[in-house]
Amino acid sequence: MSQLNRQSNLSKQPQQRERSLAEWVTFAISLIVLLSIVVLVFSSWLKVGERPPVLVLERSGEVRQIEGKFYVPFTVTNSGGETANTVQAIAQLRINGEVKETGEQQFDFLAGGEAEEGEFIFSHNPQDGELVLRVASYQKP
Amino acid sequence: MSLKRRVRKNIWLNEWNDIVRGASGGFLLGTPLLYTMEVWWIGSFAEPPRLLISLLTNFVVVFLLIRTEGFRRTGKIGLIDALMDSIETLAIGAICAAIILVLIREINLATSINEALGKIVFESAPFSLGVAVANSALSGDRDGRERTSRNNLSNGQKHLSSHSKTAEINATLADIGATLIGAIFIAFSISPTEEVPMLAAAMTPPWLLATIAASVLISYGIVFVSGLTNQAKRQQQQGLFQRPLSETVMCYLVSLLAAALMLWFFHQLSIDDPWTVWLSHTIVLGLPATIGGAAGRIVV
Repeated sequence: MSQLNRQSNLSKQPQQRERSLAEWVTFAISLIVLLSIVVLVFSSWLKVGERPPVLVLERSGEVRQIEGKFYVPFTVTNSGGETANTVQAIAQLRINGEVKETGEQQFDFLAGGEAEEGEFIFSHNPQDGELVLRVASYQKP
Repeated sequence: MSLKRRVRKNIWLNEWNDIVRGASGGFLLGTPLLYTMEVWWIGSFAEPPRLLISLLTNFVVVFLLIRTEGFRRTGKIGLIDALMDSIETLAIGAICAAIILVLIREINLATSINEALGKIVFESAPFSLGVAVANSALSGDRDGRERTSRNNLSNGQKHLSSHSKTAEINATLADIGATLIGAIFIAFSISPTEEVPMLAAAMTPPWLLATIAASVLISYGIVFVSGLTNQAKRQQQQGLFQRPLSETVMCYLVSLLAAALMLWFFHQLSIDDPWTVWLSHTIVLGLPATIGGAAGRIVV
C-alpha cells in the first residue's frame, strides 16, 4: 500500500509530498554537514575568545646554496587566537657583531593557528655569523 | 521483485539528478565569487559571531527562494518541505564551495580551521543561492532549440540526405557558439583580475590535472545530468560531437581557447611568457569559462 502511495506520489508530486528514502538520506547528510559547520563555528568561538595574535618566526629546513646565494627557509606561525594582518618578518645576518645583511617579508593575513612559509636570501653564508629572526609588526584587522 | 528494485533504483537516480542540478546552479552563481580574493579575506578574519549571522541570513534568503523555486522539480511545496530543502541547499552549497576552495588551494593543510570555516561560510552564500534557483536557471529548453530547428528544416526542405549534413554542422556551430557566449559571459569579468596569476602560482601539476578533471566533470554535470534533456532525446541530437563525452571535451577545449584569448586580451599573458605560464593561467581561468560554456549550451 505504502509502495503504491510512493509510486503515485512520484508521478504526481502533490503539494505535501512524501519523501523517498533517497531524499531522507540526502536530508540526513545535509543536516549533519550544516550542524557540524555550526558546531565548529561555536567551538572556534570558544577557542578564539579574546586571545590576541602570538607571532613566532623560526627557521625551517636546510639552507640551500645556489649560485653564490644562501636561501634560508622560514616559517611564521600565529599561535594566538585572532587574525593578524600585514605580518612583517625580518631577518638580520650579523657577522662579527656587525649587521651585514637584512631580509624582510610581509604576509597579508595570518589567522589564528595558521602558518606560512618563505625563504630569506643572503649573499653571505649564514653559518659564518648569527642569524636573528623576528616578527617586527602586524596590523589589527 | 525486479519492478520493486527498478523503482528503488529510480528513486536514487532521481535524487542524484536533483543534487547534481542543485550543484550545477551553485557552480554557475558561485564560481565568479570564488575567484574574488576579497571574499577569501573576509572569510579569513571573520569572527565566529559574524559567521553565525551570515549563515542565518543565508538560510532565510535561501528559504524564501525555495518557497518559490528550489532545485527539485516539485513546484510549490509546503513549509516543512521548504525548511528541509533549505537545509539541503545550504549543505550542497557548502560542500561545493569547499571542494573548489580546496581545488584552488585556498584551503589546504596549513589553513587553520577558523579560516577554512570562514571561507566556506562566505563562499557558500552565492553557491547556495545558485542551488536555490537551479531549477529556473538551468531549465532552459535545450531540446526546444533542437526541436524547432529540426522542424524548420523538415518544413523547408524535403531532401533529407542533403540537409542532414548542413544540420549536423549547424548544430555543432551552435554548440560552439553557445559555449563561447557562456564562457565569455562568466569568465570575462574574471580574466583581468589579479586572482588568476595568484591562483596559478599556487598550482602544481597534479593540482592543474585535478582542475582539468573538475572542469570536465562539472561541465558534464551541468549539461547532461541537470538539464531538462533526457537520455533518449540526447541520443537523437545532431552535431559532429553529439555524444555526451566528446561534446564535453570539445566544449572544454573551446572554453580553454576562450580563456587564453581573454587573458591575452587583458595583457595577463604575452607572447614572451613561457608556455608553462600560458598553460597554468589558461587552466585556472578555464574552470569558470567551462562552467559558463556549459550553462551557455543549456540556456542560449
